[in-house]
Amino acid sequence: MTGNTSKSLVMSDAASIRQRIGSWIGQGFLLLATSLSAFAVFFIFYFILKDAIPFFQLEGFKEFFASKRWYPSGHPAEFGALSIFVGTGLVTLGAIVVAVPLGISAAVCLSDLLPFGIRQIVKPVIEILAAIPSVAFGFFALVVFAPLLQRSGGAILATGAWLVLGPILALLVVVGGDLLLEKMRNRIQGKKRYLASVSVFGVLGLGSILFLVFLSRRLGGIEINSGTNALNVSIILGIMALPTIVSVSEDALQAAGRELREGSYALGSTRAETILKAVIPASVSGILAAVILGVMRAIGETMVVWMASGNAARIPDPWYNVLQPIRTLTATIAGDMGEADHVTGSARYHVLFAMAFCLLAFSFLMNLASELIVKRSRKKLGK
Amino acid sequence: MKRIIALVATTALVGVASAQTKIVIDGSTTVGPIAKAFAEYTMAAHPEVNISVSESGSGNGAKGLLNGTCDIADMSRSMKDTEFKACADKGIQPVAHVVALDGLPILVHPSNPVKDLTVEQVRKIYLGEITNWKEVGGPDQKIVTISRDTSSGTYETFEEKVMEKGKIREDCEYVGSNGAIRSRVQTTPAAIGYAGLGFVDKTVKALKVNGISPSAETVQSGQYPIARPLFMYTNGYPALGSPLYQFVTIHLSEDGQEMVEDIGFVPVTAY
Amino acid sequence: MRLETRKLLDKAFSGLGLIAIAVMATALVLILSPIIWRGSKAFVFKGTIEHRRVMLEQFNRGNPDRFNQEWVQVAKAREPVYRMLADFEAEMREMPSSERREYRSAFKELQEAVEILLGPAPGEDIPVLIRKRYGQTRWDRTQIKLHEVLYSEEWDYSNPDAMGILVEKPRLEQFMGTKLEPFFAYVEEHIDEIMRPKTTFYWQFITDTSKDSHIFGGIWPEVLGTIYLTLGAMIFAIPMGVIAAIYLCEYAKEGRIVSFLRICISTLAGVPSIVFGLFGLAFFLNTMHVSDSRSVLAGSMTLSLLILPTIIRSSEEAILAVPRSYKEAAFGLGAGRWRTVLTVILPAALPGILTGIVISMGRAAGETAPIIFTAAVSVGAPLKIWETLNQPTPALPWNIYNLCTEHEAVDEIRHVQYGMVLTLVALVLLLNLFAILMRARISKKLRG
Repeated sequence: MTGNTSKSLVMSDAASIRQRIGSWIGQGFLLLATSLSAFAVFFIFYFILKDAIPFFQLEGFKEFFASKRWYPSGHPAEFGALSIFVGTGLVTLGAIVVAVPLGISAAVCLSDLLPFGIRQIVKPVIEILAAIPSVAFGFFALVVFAPLLQRSGGAILATGAWLVLGPILALLVVVGGDLLLEKMRNRIQGKKRYLASVSVFGVLGLGSILFLVFLSRRLGGIEINSGTNALNVSIILGIMALPTIVSVSEDALQAAGRELREGSYALGSTRAETILKAVIPASVSGILAAVILGVMRAIGETMVVWMASGNAARIPDPWYNVLQPIRTLTATIAGDMGEADHVTGSARYHVLFAMAFCLLAFSFLMNLASELIVKRSRKKLGK
Repeated sequence: MKRIIALVATTALVGVASAQTKIVIDGSTTVGPIAKAFAEYTMAAHPEVNISVSESGSGNGAKGLLNGTCDIADMSRSMKDTEFKACADKGIQPVAHVVALDGLPILVHPSNPVKDLTVEQVRKIYLGEITNWKEVGGPDQKIVTISRDTSSGTYETFEEKVMEKGKIREDCEYVGSNGAIRSRVQTTPAAIGYAGLGFVDKTVKALKVNGISPSAETVQSGQYPIARPLFMYTNGYPALGSPLYQFVTIHLSEDGQEMVEDIGFVPVTAY
Repeated sequence: MRLETRKLLDKAFSGLGLIAIAVMATALVLILSPIIWRGSKAFVFKGTIEHRRVMLEQFNRGNPDRFNQEWVQVAKAREPVYRMLADFEAEMREMPSSERREYRSAFKELQEAVEILLGPAPGEDIPVLIRKRYGQTRWDRTQIKLHEVLYSEEWDYSNPDAMGILVEKPRLEQFMGTKLEPFFAYVEEHIDEIMRPKTTFYWQFITDTSKDSHIFGGIWPEVLGTIYLTLGAMIFAIPMGVIAAIYLCEYAKEGRIVSFLRICISTLAGVPSIVFGLFGLAFFLNTMHVSDSRSVLAGSMTLSLLILPTIIRSSEEAILAVPRSYKEAAFGLGAGRWRTVLTVILPAALPGILTGIVISMGRAAGETAPIIFTAAVSVGAPLKIWETLNQPTPALPWNIYNLCTEHEAVDEIRHVQYGMVLTLVALVLLLNLFAILMRARISKKLRG
């Protein structure tokens, strides 16, 4: 193709061979470059594993996974990372509790409820939330949120309980009351029916308000010893995982298709029923993938947990007590690298790589799982 | 990746030629403020010298010196035998410069009525044998223990001088720096922590230990029980007159003494 | 269920979704508003005469004549302060020793508080440390320090069963009946003349180097370091990423190898950022020795790995979004595959690719964990471009961490920390805003 096309339209054999070889070389180069990008992940696995194996040779598996005693600088040193694993799990669980209900309802709202115009405004908000650097979240958690939590933790917890449980209970009262009334309807007639409905709703409503008041009293009395704790980190990590969960599960909900929704409407379902009984079941695998990605984001986060989790290598007592400080894998790697030394070959250096390897392996498995789920759901939807 | 490697190889060669006037300092967060002040002092006098200071822990300093990734290792503890040996094996000869002395004040919230603890009591608090301020003459409040991260010279000094090989209780909170200890203690009424002398201000209360309050005088005279020298290590003694030489001798000058004092540590000279 | 209830439930359900979105928006506002509000105070604040003095003496900025005029007036306003202190010192010397002892420590405390407020007294030696040379540069800090001059803090431990209570005693009470008695009223009334607060717009906060480890000055070394790291990461990541995307979209035939490559890339996307940091340390620094200490180069390479998957994915999407007809037209005109890619597909996909690049720039600028072990230091001069190859640099994300946890004067420099966070967030959000606008234009173009 060198400009002599005017001479003849048919290429000579030599030129054709040259071109074919050229395109092979070109393609080969592209493949090489692509595989280098892809194989970076093997490099990472290799180099992390290379420094992780000596730890297991030196100290074995049992202590690392089963012991709760983390004294890397002691004499002799102890490397029980169980409490660190539990800490990681706890904040991840906390982040899920915060992010999953919120994220899925927001995704439903985005895909099915909001008009197009508003959606165009909301989506950038989510992107902005996703773009804020993690150190800014960490700074917020440490400098703004932790002192707040410590100073007026009880009040915050009580308000949180009202905000979260209030709408849920109101909904429950309405539905429960309605169901009760329906059962009674046959027995009660005329004016009495009105009275019955008032009394049923009254009792239920009063009961739930009393429950809320009682609960918020209890929560309001709690004093938080340190604002840098699992709760703080869970909330912040939840907020950080939200954008991922929202956008991925929104995609999944969209993918469920128009026909499904229209079919459901045609059968007389309301919008809520359509979403709950038709759309969400159809896109459950995509939503699961979204949750997995959110979990990965929370587990892999370093700065927030390093700055605001308190870094105490201990399983909270009881284990779900999120008001106590915890320590996570990522924070341990970031924080302990300072004294760990690879030239003197101490286990203290290699243990951090062992932790990194666990993180890596876990994220690899999760990733694989989410890929598989997405692939399967695509097949199911015939796309 | 190969192209990157080639690029790096050529650029690294160019880089070495222009690297004569940089001093890279790594190590302890306790020595950090001194190193930072000295660095700005030197750079103001010699603008052609670029000095970078990281505060990543004493062990990192030693590691950096050993690998040749830093010129000066700030350390808040002396080098361990293993580190010395590793250096010697690599042909690196660590030379210690004691730039200042430091005490480890035991810090509590100023609202805490406790004024005085013995080393034994501090030890028991961190062991978890004393868990309530009531037991040491304070109000009925659970003690929140805060420690420097295990990856710090400050922690190792504390471990050596106070804990005597005892293991710190499991629910102890760990923070990454002296500044973080202070901010945790000043926001937590029931907290106890320890940090370098230079980090004490009026937002926290430094306790008397064994009846001696931590101060420049008591540290210098050796009365205060939890004290230590602060080091800067170099590879061999720096050539006379070199920027490195000037840097590690600042603490011997009058200006250096003033800076060390003003930052809050105890100078080794007395002009 | 009754129809009304079903309707109600439907409404409630919509409400739930809206609440979720509202919560998200609130979270965004709650997180951003303190950062924006307090961060802006690093740029716009009431600066005292001491701020202008720092600017003049440390940065050669401002009009020396006007400053000197102002300074003469300030010196006049401060003169009584120092005179009263000196008078009292003389008075104290005359006192019997028992009485003197009573005053001595209180007076020393007062002197220190005054020095923190106003800087060293005239005639004293100039301290070596810059932070000791000046008084309070900001009006908000001035008021706090003024309060400390006027009141002494004491803790009341009289109740043995509870924590002590803070009692603020006016220092005036301590010095009642001495020559210092009028001192406190004078300082309180004349603080405006002593400090001369003036609204200051300090945009040079971004372009000034820091003095005395961020106690004065700006954040230029950090900003520059962040720019270097981000651009460096781009230099490595863009070619690799775009090539990979071209290959995957245009050349590769879907099969085992390609799906394997895709799995690798998506796994790379899921690797926690701290693991990238460890890898950078173990590979680029300890194995390849790309530089003899941490360096911008090593940090950039580590960051480039982190953003590679993002760039590949977004480039792929952009290439796939190019209408088939373009490609077919090019083939129809007799262009080869390579030429089609270079002259037709890439230009058409370029805006989309750029969007992805801009977004990943934001990501690279904000990441902290990968540069902890590979590039970041807490103090350093702004680097020249060739120095990036073998020298470490301060960078915004790392120094935010450093300043808010490790700095010896954490509380005194809150404004610098907030200013840094604001700068970083603004940088990242601007990049993202740019990307969002660009994408809106593309979608308009594709639709119209």
